[in-house]
Amino acid sequence: MSCKLEDRRPDWKSYALGELDARARQEAESHVAACADCQDELAGLRVTLDAMATLREEELPRRIAFVSDKVFEPRWYQKIAQAFLRPSFAAAGLIAAAILIHAFVRPVSAPNNIAAQVDTRAIESRVTAEVTARLQNEMAAAVNTAVTKAVAETEKRDDHRTALLLSASERRYSDAADFLNKQVTRIYALNTGAGVR
Amino acid sequence: MIFREVEDRDLIAKARQGDVEAYNLLVSRWEKRIFNYLLRLVSNREDALDISQETFLKAYQNLRKLDDPARFSAWLFRIAHNEAFSLLRRRKPESELSEPRPRDFGGRLLPIELSLAVESALKVLSEDQREAVLLKVYQGFKFDEMAEILEIPVSTVKSRLYTALDLLKATLAPAVFRKDGGMAL
Repeated sequence: MSCKLEDRRPDWKSYALGELDARARQEAESHVAACADCQDELAGLRVTLDAMATLREEELPRRIAFVSDKVFEPRWYQKIAQAFLRPSFAAAGLIAAAILIHAFVRPVSAPNNIAAQVDTRAIESRVTAEVTARLQNEMAAAVNTAVTKAVAETEKRDDHRTALLLSASERRYSDAADFLNKQVTRIYALNTGAGVR
Repeated sequence: MIFREVEDRDLIAKARQGDVEAYNLLVSRWEKRIFNYLLRLVSNREDALDISQETFLKAYQNLRKLDDPARFSAWLFRIAHNEAFSLLRRRKPESELSEPRPRDFGGRLLPIELSLAVESALKVLSEDQREAVLLKVYQGFKFDEMAEILEIPVSTVKSRLYTALDLLKATLAPAVFRKDGGMAL
C-alpha cells in the first residue's frame, strides 16, 4: 500500500524532529491515522530516534580549567569606573589626586625631585633640629626672664631691707649722740659748778 | 528555560565587564554539552576536551563581539564547530585511511550494546551529516539555529540531516528491528 498523497505527504522527519508548526502537525496527525504507509515510515523514524536516545551524555574527564588572562581584564576605563563605584576607593582616589595636584602646583622653588620631597628621614631630622633649636631658645629666654625677675625682686627686697637698716641705724646714732651730748653737758656742769649744787 | 536564558544573559553581562567568576559559572553550565558534541564529532576524548577548552577560551576572548546574548548557545556551538573542523581538516589524511565501515548488528541487543551500535553508526556518517544529527538530536537546536551555527542555508541543514537519518535507520535496522518484522525497542 502506498500513500495516496504521494509527493504531498507530510514531512515525517520534520514531524519526528519537532519542526512542524501546529497546523502542519495537526494535518499530519489526521493523515497518519488513516495511512498505513505513513504509519510505517513514522514508526521507523521513531524507533531510530529512540535507539539514538540510548546514547548517554558522558561526563567530562576533568572540569574545564578557565584561568583569567590579561586579555580578559577589564579595560582601563572600566577599572576606573568600578573603583569609583566603591566609596573607600573613591575616597582614596580623591586623596591621591589631591596629593598629586598639590605636588604639581607647588612653587617653582620647590625641589623637582619628588623622591627628595618625600624623604622622610631628611624631613624628620630637619623637624627635630628645628624643634630642638626653638625649644632651646624658648627655654633660654624663659630662664633669662625668670632669673632677671628673681634678681630684680631680690635687689628690691635688699634695697628695702638696707633702707630699713639705715633708717634704724640713723635713729640709733641720733639717740646715742643725744645721750652722749647730754652726758658731756652734765659732766661739764659738774666740773664748773655752774648750775650744779 | 526562560529563567536559564535570563541568568545566562546576566552572567554574560558580568563576564563582559571582566567578572571571571561569572564566566566560570557559564562554562560549568555549558561544558558538558559542548564536550559531548565535540566527543561525538571528533571521536576522541582528549581532543574533545582540548577543543572544549579552546572553545571557551575563544568565546571569552570574543564575548564583546556577541551581539545578542540570547543567541549565546548557537554562538558557542559555532565556535566549537569551527575548532572541531579545524582539527578534523588537519587530521584528514589519517582518518581517510581508517574510514569506518557499517557493522552488522544482527539480533536483538542489550541497552549497552544498542548504545555502542548507535555510537558506531554515527561514525559511519560523514562529518557534516554527523554534526547535523548531533546538533538536532542531541543538542535540540532548531533548523534555523543549526543554519546559523553551520553557516549554511536551512535547506542544506535539512538535506544533511535527512540523509543522515536514512543512513542511521538503515545501519541500525538489524539491531532495532526483529527479523519477524517487529521492533526490538
